[in-house]
Amino acid sequence: MTLRLADHCGQYLSELATQDSRICALDGDLADSDGAIHFAEIHPERFIMAGIAEQSMISVAAGMASCGWRPWVFSFGAFLCYRAYDQIRVCLSQSRQPVTLVGSHTGGCSARNGKTHASLNDIALLASLPNIHLWSPSGPEDLKFAMRNILSGDNPAYLRLPRRPLEQELPGTPALYKWSGKPTRVAILSTGLGTHLALAAQAQLAERGLEVGVLHCLLLSPLPEGLLEELEHVETLFVIEDHYRFGGLASIIQHAGFQGKVISRGWSTDWSAQSGSDEKLLEMHGLAPHQLGEAVYNAIQPQG
Amino acid sequence: MQMATHSQPARDIQSLKVEAAELRREIVEALYESGGGHYGGSLSVLDILLTLYRRILRMYPHDPLNPERDRFILSKGHSCIALYAVLRRLGFFTHPLSSYGRFNSPLEGHPDMTALSGIDFSTGSLGQGLSVGLGMALAMRETNQHTWVVIGDGECQEGQVWEAAMLAARYEVSRLHAIIDVNRFQEWGWNQDPDSDSSPVEDLALKWEAFGWRVLEVDGHDHEKLTATFEDAMATRGRPSVVLAQTIKGKGYKLIESDPIRFHCATVEPHEHAQLLEGSYDIAAC
Repeated sequence: MTLRLADHCGQYLSELATQDSRICALDGDLADSDGAIHFAEIHPERFIMAGIAEQSMISVAAGMASCGWRPWVFSFGAFLCYRAYDQIRVCLSQSRQPVTLVGSHTGGCSARNGKTHASLNDIALLASLPNIHLWSPSGPEDLKFAMRNILSGDNPAYLRLPRRPLEQELPGTPALYKWSGKPTRVAILSTGLGTHLALAAQAQLAERGLEVGVLHCLLLSPLPEGLLEELEHVETLFVIEDHYRFGGLASIIQHAGFQGKVISRGWSTDWSAQSGSDEKLLEMHGLAPHQLGEAVYNAIQPQG
Repeated sequence: MQMATHSQPARDIQSLKVEAAELRREIVEALYESGGGHYGGSLSVLDILLTLYRRILRMYPHDPLNPERDRFILSKGHSCIALYAVLRRLGFFTHPLSSYGRFNSPLEGHPDMTALSGIDFSTGSLGQGLSVGLGMALAMRETNQHTWVVIGDGECQEGQVWEAAMLAARYEVSRLHAIIDVNRFQEWGWNQDPDSDSSPVEDLALKWEAFGWRVLEVDGHDHEKLTATFEDAMATRGRPSVVLAQTIKGKGYKLIESDPIRFHCATVEPHEHAQLLEGSYDIAAC
């Protein structure tokens, strides 16, 4: 059975909760879609169905956190970040409460759901708030690494999980950031679903005899120490992400002081999302692996 | 049964009256020194806060984060100078009240739990406190600790209040208590229309009852009745309780009581400040 990262999150959180009595979960009536069902089945006494009321749900979680609990709040990313942004701002960011937001169905590949359920600028919103750690895993082990890190600290956190199942593990052991291939003069920086698109493009370029390094970034905010140094010899950086071209990882890396040329490959900021298959939507925005590969190829070997 | 603050004995009613008058004067003086602020709501809520802190809450002013304390949230955070006055009097901190809202003062313009001892949760953006209190009550469900949330009647226009009200009733959280400061005014409201009901929210008792809460009503300036009502609320089983405390915006100062819209948040001229100090009610009337 193919599982979404949100399902892996619910399952692994249930495991962690057997060892950590502080963990509880709240859900906004999407438990069978956002992964919370796995926790609810194993730990019903620590599960709260908070109703279709995301604003209240996040404030309730903050109140619990202030009493020593470690609440994990499940819903679609769009409903957490947009419906309850003020509650995130006041109750989590300003008040520094260790609540973890598990946002499923994030990004632009919203399938039948369409624009109301897509979250195209959630990185921009959350990364611009103090104290909140923003994680964007690309596989189950990546996710578990992030979850352990979240619980070992005491910051509020946002786990950004796409609707599309990402069952294929990234090569190597999980880390805050890591290279696939060696750093190259023209390289790719990516996160979340974007890393799978980047790896597919990397493979296509390899078939054409070109080596391009892909740097996967798991923790987007605060940007991990040392990441910028990894890009020291990169002259042109393609940033591939399931987010608007503005306000996401491309903006974050430029804000951090990356001096090379940045080519942002994400969703167009004049698009509000729509229903459709992942493949159609990605191709519409030049995010299909063959399109990305071609763009990188042309950057390395300019025509004419 | 009186759950006095653990470091100090519960105050008798006459002492509370005297203390309330003293704190009202401190608030008015501090607001004048600090350049103005929320006179009306701070003076309407003061007796509620003083009664809670002197006679009801289990608090530890010199150990403010003691996990066994009851929890209190001033959801109508703009009235925080009244809370600061009470907390300061109880010994939670010694910063001057007149530093309210000043640069680098922990007495922020709205309560900040990261800045000041005794603030159980930050507020200021209206509507969020009851949900936070519900979370606290759920977290402490296996204990005998109580959570109190003071909400403005205008604040009850926020949808999140009713989201929390529904969930609290569903989970039968009986140690969660809301107190509504029913001073009948908000910043602007509908008071300009003489034919309109100026209540920020009409039929509050019916609404809370419909949401599954036990509703109690009381004179929000009568310390004895407030004490009895709060104790009654604490005895509630199987559902949360709400106290509708009928108050007067600007209580204690004729000038403010007579112009509640202006004094929701106001600055006063020197002669008005002098008038306030001279024209306050006598202690017995407060």
